Amino acid sequence: MITELFDLRPVAAPLISALCAFGIMLLGHHAGWRIALSLAASVVKFAVVLSMLPGALEGNVYRFSAGEILPGLEFAFRVDALGLFFGLVSSTLWVLTTIYAIAYMRGSHSLRRFFGFFALCVSTTQAIAFAENLLTLFIFYELLTICTYPLVIHSGTLEARRAGRRYLIYTLSGGAAILAGMVMVYQATGSLSLSTPGLLHAGIDERALLTMFVLLIGGFGVKAALMPLHAWLPTAMVAPTPVSALLHAVAVVKAGSFGLMRVIYNIFGVELLDTLGYHQVLAAIAAITIIVASLVALRQDVLKRRLAWSTISQLSYIVLAACLLAPLAALAAVIHIANQAFAKITLFFVAGAIEKTTGKKRISELDGIGKTMPWTMAAFTVASLSFMGVPLLAGFITKWYLSVGALAAGAPVYVGVMMASAILNAAYWLPILYRAWVKPPESPNPPRREAENLLLWPTLACAAYVIVLGLGAQAPAMPFALAQSAVAFAFGLEVVSP
Amino acid sequence: MSSLAHLLPLTVLLPITAGVLAPALFHRRGLACWWWALAAAILTFATTVTLWRQLQSGSTISYPLGGWPPPYGIELVFDGLAALMLVLCALSVLILLAARRYVEATVPSSRQSLFYALILINLGGMNGFVAAADLFNLFVFMEIFSISAYALVALARGPVAALAALKYLLVGAVSSLLVLLAVALLHAQTGSLNMSDVAGLLAQAEAPGASALALGCLVVGFLVKAAIFPLHFWLPDAHASAPSPVSALLSGLVVKMGIVGLVRTRILFAEAEIVPLLMLDNLLVWLGVIAILAGAVLAMVQRELKLMLAYSTVANMGYIALGIGLATPSAVSGALAHTVYHATIKTGLFLTAGSILLCTGLSRVDDLRGLGQRMPLTSGALVLGLLAATGIPPTAGFVGKWQIALGALQAGQAWVIGVILAGALLTLGWAIRVINSLFFRPPARARVITANEAPVSMLVPSVLLAVLAVSAGLGGAILLGLVEPLALAIVGADHDH
Repeated sequence: MITELFDLRPVAAPLISALCAFGIMLLGHHAGWRIALSLAASVVKFAVVLSMLPGALEGNVYRFSAGEILPGLEFAFRVDALGLFFGLVSSTLWVLTTIYAIAYMRGSHSLRRFFGFFALCVSTTQAIAFAENLLTLFIFYELLTICTYPLVIHSGTLEARRAGRRYLIYTLSGGAAILAGMVMVYQATGSLSLSTPGLLHAGIDERALLTMFVLLIGGFGVKAALMPLHAWLPTAMVAPTPVSALLHAVAVVKAGSFGLMRVIYNIFGVELLDTLGYHQVLAAIAAITIIVASLVALRQDVLKRRLAWSTISQLSYIVLAACLLAPLAALAAVIHIANQAFAKITLFFVAGAIEKTTGKKRISELDGIGKTMPWTMAAFTVASLSFMGVPLLAGFITKWYLSVGALAAGAPVYVGVMMASAILNAAYWLPILYRAWVKPPESPNPPRREAENLLLWPTLACAAYVIVLGLGAQAPAMPFALAQSAVAFAFGLEVVSP
Repeated sequence: MSSLAHLLPLTVLLPITAGVLAPALFHRRGLACWWWALAAAILTFATTVTLWRQLQSGSTISYPLGGWPPPYGIELVFDGLAALMLVLCALSVLILLAARRYVEATVPSSRQSLFYALILINLGGMNGFVAAADLFNLFVFMEIFSISAYALVALARGPVAALAALKYLLVGAVSSLLVLLAVALLHAQTGSLNMSDVAGLLAQAEAPGASALALGCLVVGFLVKAAIFPLHFWLPDAHASAPSPVSALLSGLVVKMGIVGLVRTRILFAEAEIVPLLMLDNLLVWLGVIAILAGAVLAMVQRELKLMLAYSTVANMGYIALGIGLATPSAVSGALAHTVYHATIKTGLFLTAGSILLCTGLSRVDDLRGLGQRMPLTSGALVLGLLAATGIPPTAGFVGKWQIALGALQAGQAWVIGVILAGALLTLGWAIRVINSLFFRPPARARVITANEAPVSMLVPSVLLAVLAVSAGLGGAILLGLVEPLALAIVGADHDH
């Protein structure tokens, strides 16, 4: 059913962003070159990634190998359904974020460095999505950490440097754990390939298997902000908004979630994990993270911090869904990569637009903001309703499949978690909507002052996509079909019928 | 004996002769002497390339000096270990390239020819050391590169350098004496000095105690040369206070000779069953582990860039010792690969640190704030080198760590992986401080604000080595393929009995 084809596109996609970064470093003194290169590269890359979609839906897998880097370990890229899904999400959002960043960062210092590393981050994220084996994935996973560091501490203040240090300590320690786990997997199986539904097998010593699981999950869990490994994320919000948006809602944290899914579905495999039972512990941790992070989010007044805690909570949806080991829950895990990304990036864009336009950072300052910035707040409303799980929006799809999957897996308690999370989400999003739309503004008739167009359009586009993902999930050309084939591969099924 | 074999003594004689002649020919003509030294180093490099290609196509090349066949005559052998010459010569050429401007600025013109002469003699000594097939010449060449190294350290002016050179000289002399004692003991035991001959004869040695003592002396002597913790105490001051090109030479290349010595010792005693090599292996593992952690922690508490780099060398020598001590094919090949990679990384780092020192006159990390604005290429090269030193994949530093970790699993010592990773994270701790200082802090010193990018002759080696340091890891499979036969030879002898 799966046909492997040699193709240059798997390596071309990350390479385009990397070349863009190189170009920006060389020519980035001039704003014109910087903008032209960033935009051109993001659009071209999106086209390249998108061009693989029809083939992938037919069951083709694209592959490119650059030769061995270590004995028996190739530096190779392979675009399968799961990887392409993640790749599509990140390349789509790069286009939008680039436009947003051009407007947002205007007038800031060291823009050459900023846009150069920005492109490098996207390049590495793409490579993570398309990595053929765990080593290739790990190489880019670590590079992603390094490349985001200059972005996190862009402002150079003491606070930023502290946040940067904490970020590095957390993520690089996680990386070290992954490396240790990876060495053990390689020693046990002689391979690190991600092209099988389960690399490890039951014949391996169970203590070793447990160690590998703890190391790999713990390592990827840092970037996926699984509690108690999450503390870096709220502090890292000191970065400029486009960085928080793309990297801390999409690229970095999703690289962690994606890594977790690769470990669960391709390294351990559904069957082995089911007999070992480790997934139940992980599911419990994820459920606790969902609830606790939401409770903390309730108490945040700074908008970006509330968003950060909401991210921590939402990311664990993916982990929980993946851990239930039921096909429908797995479907929820995959599509939540897109659902959470589009909704959360909308919210970040709005937070940034409000800050840039009015200078307001706190929720308590947002009284009546819906009157001055109606379009911006409309986008915010759509995205936050999606997180609450209102039907017809993207977030509902996740919650639905996750709940159905939980029932199928015989764990109805997680349906309760979903409901509790929906209520908590309502509890921390609705007050904002109430302030924005219902409460009277400070001065009686404030003039309408929308964010500038380059900030507004990407925001609206993302919000629109949240609706599209909710309404038209099953339309034939949507990535939903891709998620289905990814799940079918992991579970060894012919088709996954929702 | 093919005609190509005559090239082998040339790798030793050419640099030493050129070095000895240099002060006489080029007194007070520093630039001409630089050209002379560079030409000699390049010619030596070309010679080793030819030899290496011969090695790749066929078997090892040996050359009996004066035509006297071994075990009576003196023999030079170009085997897998001696192929390290290629790295020695290539890096020496780059060091010489970078040295010109540094020497012009810091060494009085009456001593410049001496500087280049010593570098050439040092190179010749190292080439001879890796190719020596008999114990006595091993000792002689060791003395040649050691004494030239003491003198090179002393060439830097100032009280710290003088004291460091004296300390280096005293410790070095003790270690040399130990090696000499071992050579004498082995000669008394076997009546031979040729290493492969001695290896065979040791099994029938009458006094195993004396052989064991010889082994102990050799190991301690070479551990000092390799600066394995806790015998590293001479290194930081010597490497940090020496002129920067010399630091690069010492930290990149000269300490590696201790490792070569250890490997030769291990092969020498592998056939004889008198002394269990397991003890030596365990010793190396433990010393390596301690060196990794201690070196990284000590590097962390330093304020001077060059001292940080020097302590990082201590940690990295620990990785190499650990790899050899684990004694599985993966670990040993990892250690050998790391020997080459670390030579590349550390040479580059010290040359870059030298450029910074020359252009700003500043050496403390806190003083270098904001230098990334003024010297972007040099600072960038330093950052790339530091990332490679921490072993982030796919940089050159990663390959060795991966292989050693794999070897630790194969040897059933999984805990070692934790140490390897802890060492890498600690290294990152101080590397980040340097990176922050260079790129993310506003300048604090006027000399930083007025600094200009380093001259091209210093920039080219720095940037070249930095790029190599971050990208060479991608060729890990190739390098590991090259060192594999040697690694198997080192551990294989172990498996025979």
